[in-house]
Amino acid sequence: MNTRLKNIFTNWRIITLLVFILFALIAIQPQIFGNDGVTIKSISQNSSAALAGIQNPSAQLTPLAKEKIISINGEDILTTGDYYSIVSEIGTNRTVRIETNKEFYTLQTKDSGELGIKISEAPTSNLRKGLDLEGGTRVLLKPEEQVSAENLEITIANLKERLNVYGLSDVVVRSASDLAGDDFILIEMAGVTEDEVKELLSKQGKFEANIGNDTVFFGGKKDITYVCRSADCSGIDPQRGCSPFDGGYSCSFFFSITLSPEAAERQASLTNDLTVTSENGNSYLSEDLTLMLDDTEVDSLRIGAELKGRATTNIQISGSGSGPTQADAVTNTLKEMKRLQTIIITGSLPVKLEIVKMDTISPSLGKEFLNNMVLVGALAILSVVVVVFIRYRKIKIVLPMVITLVSEMVLILGFASLVGWNLDLAAIAGIIIVAGTGVDHLIVITDETMSGEMITDWKKRIKNAMFIVFGAYLTTCAGMLPLWFAGAGLLKGFAFTTIVGISFGVLIARPAYAAIIEQLLKE
Amino acid sequence: MNSKLKSFYENKYKLLLVIPFLLLVLALLQIGIQTAVTGDFVNKGITLKGGSTITIEDGSIDIIELEQFLDGKFPGADIGIRTISAAGRITGIAIDSDAQETKEIDNLINVIEGKLDLKKSEYSIEVMGSSLGNSFFKQTLIALLIAFLLMGIVVLIYFRTIIPSLAVILAAFSDIVVTLAIFNLTGMKLSTAGIAAFLMLIGYSVDTDILLSSRLLKRKEGSVMERVYGAMKTGLTMSTTTLVAILVALIFVQSEIVKQIMLILFIGLLVDLVMTWIQNVGILRLYLERKRK
Repeated sequence: MNTRLKNIFTNWRIITLLVFILFALIAIQPQIFGNDGVTIKSISQNSSAALAGIQNPSAQLTPLAKEKIISINGEDILTTGDYYSIVSEIGTNRTVRIETNKEFYTLQTKDSGELGIKISEAPTSNLRKGLDLEGGTRVLLKPEEQVSAENLEITIANLKERLNVYGLSDVVVRSASDLAGDDFILIEMAGVTEDEVKELLSKQGKFEANIGNDTVFFGGKKDITYVCRSADCSGIDPQRGCSPFDGGYSCSFFFSITLSPEAAERQASLTNDLTVTSENGNSYLSEDLTLMLDDTEVDSLRIGAELKGRATTNIQISGSGSGPTQADAVTNTLKEMKRLQTIIITGSLPVKLEIVKMDTISPSLGKEFLNNMVLVGALAILSVVVVVFIRYRKIKIVLPMVITLVSEMVLILGFASLVGWNLDLAAIAGIIIVAGTGVDHLIVITDETMSGEMITDWKKRIKNAMFIVFGAYLTTCAGMLPLWFAGAGLLKGFAFTTIVGISFGVLIARPAYAAIIEQLLKE
Repeated sequence: MNSKLKSFYENKYKLLLVIPFLLLVLALLQIGIQTAVTGDFVNKGITLKGGSTITIEDGSIDIIELEQFLDGKFPGADIGIRTISAAGRITGIAIDSDAQETKEIDNLINVIEGKLDLKKSEYSIEVMGSSLGNSFFKQTLIALLIAFLLMGIVVLIYFRTIIPSLAVILAAFSDIVVTLAIFNLTGMKLSTAGIAAFLMLIGYSVDTDILLSSRLLKRKEGSVMERVYGAMKTGLTMSTTTLVAILVALIFVQSEIVKQIMLILFIGLLVDLVMTWIQNVGILRLYLERKRK
């Protein structure tokens, strides 16, 4: 028996599985003993909290890495209830001391008495829950004028794209109307909304680059074929950088774009009529290129004399942002850049929208949903165990099977935490299918290895089993790939989870199972 | 009796092939009639065709009780209630339902008004469109066609013969179509998650069919029927474990949406038994017989 155990734990397939499980657990970081405190979800601009230096958490942070409030004015904060009851008692123009897991902050409340912090319960793992599971923000938008059904449809598609380009994927956008027949747009998105998203939705996003009174190009795919968003051609402008400004700091950003040939021609013919002026030894054209967003100037750029009459397709866009400290200014400037990039990529909405309502909404699946799913999952595994035991009557087969199935779940969830994808109904459906085909394949492996009396060679038996498993795997993947690229949100999530899940299963967990039962059953 | 059944299964497999094809034709007929009568090939629920939201600014309503009450009053309807909150306090509720027509909404609001003692000024109503956009079904259909094509190519490369590859695709296709028709007959309304369930059937169907094809085409030991029975023993264990797990889920799961997924999978797996062990076995045996000649 000891040599068998030794053989199992020195088998490279099993070692691979164990290593992957370890990585998955590190990624998920389950807080087995619970997690007290409340997590900061967002900080309002210019609020007491922002002025005291509390950072707005970036969306890229993993749930457990977000800053957590531990106490306020010396009183421990264990739940969201504690937080709200303490905060509601703070008056106006008071000093508040907030301790987080990172730092101490001293806040000065304003006349409103509000801190400007949005919070949520501290997470118990790095898994992100989607709109269906955790709820989120519901925004009701109203077009400022009557729109045709066609334009409403375009607006909805554009808003969806805008939110996706901005980095929010768990979003539902749909048309709505009240009983009087007025049109609305209803958006639901996972998590608590930050101020910048609000601006992204209510901006029409009419972007123009003008020389004098003539427009050279507009935002959107017709004039701009590519917007650079990688670090080598976007970011804080190294030539202009940051400088003190109006009691705070101000920084400049830049990013390059590629114009369509027609837009480049337009630029060439417009610059051809300009005269060349000289300034500090450099030659510029007589008019500037002004960048306008919704009729407000974003930035004004000098045009180098060498560009006169030339149809260049590569253009640099720039703008600025500011903040109370240099670090804040950099953060705000980069946010400003991201917003402008998003709007330039997705173009202008056919109509101006105004935000009518913005609510926090509870999940459609209810709070008990996840607990119930875990219970059902456990019962389902138990029932599988019973059936498998009746068929094989060997604990040596049933136990490794259960371990393999559970490992597959851990691997999927670990991957989900690592890439930061939102667990929603589509993902749960994907996990169910992975578990289901997982059982199927383990039974195939078991039968092929046990019934092969005629074949004495274990290698041959496992090869036979993996032939079937791989055939089913490749075929299922072939079926899921088109759905992954089909575009519609739910199908994408489902196909993605399924492909990732069965890949982990077929490539890592199921071969390890074959190795385990080979060792346990071999005479 | 058992041996009679066995000999019937072994000898009359050509006759038995009528069952899956009859099922397929009947299913296509059902879907055709459904489309002609209602304009849609399936009963669409709130997530697919849209509905309405009634927002009530009152945080003290017991939503679980209200939901049960409304489910009792409107048994066929798709109704969900969520809470709206601000600063950690519940400030109101949103009742989502699939009611889109003014008459349906009036009915619903009258019942809610009576139950909660509401005045007109205390709630607002918005009618929502589908969250999926008009092109969703067209896109899904195209994606499915490409999916079947790709799957066919993979199986063809894997087994290097045309007829068995087509049989795998036909089995998966029949499974989805027949399950859809049976689902339509239950009168339930399909949600977006239900669509995922239909797609999951591809995975389950492929598993048993590849098992069967591998055993029949790639193995040499034993007669054809012995190999069929060998594959069936494995295949039935696979289906039994899944069916039992799904039954358990159907009994214990609270969420209506997951219940729907499970129901579709349950129907689909039963249909898959016919498609694999009668349709696919029949076609493969015919193919092997021709090859021998």
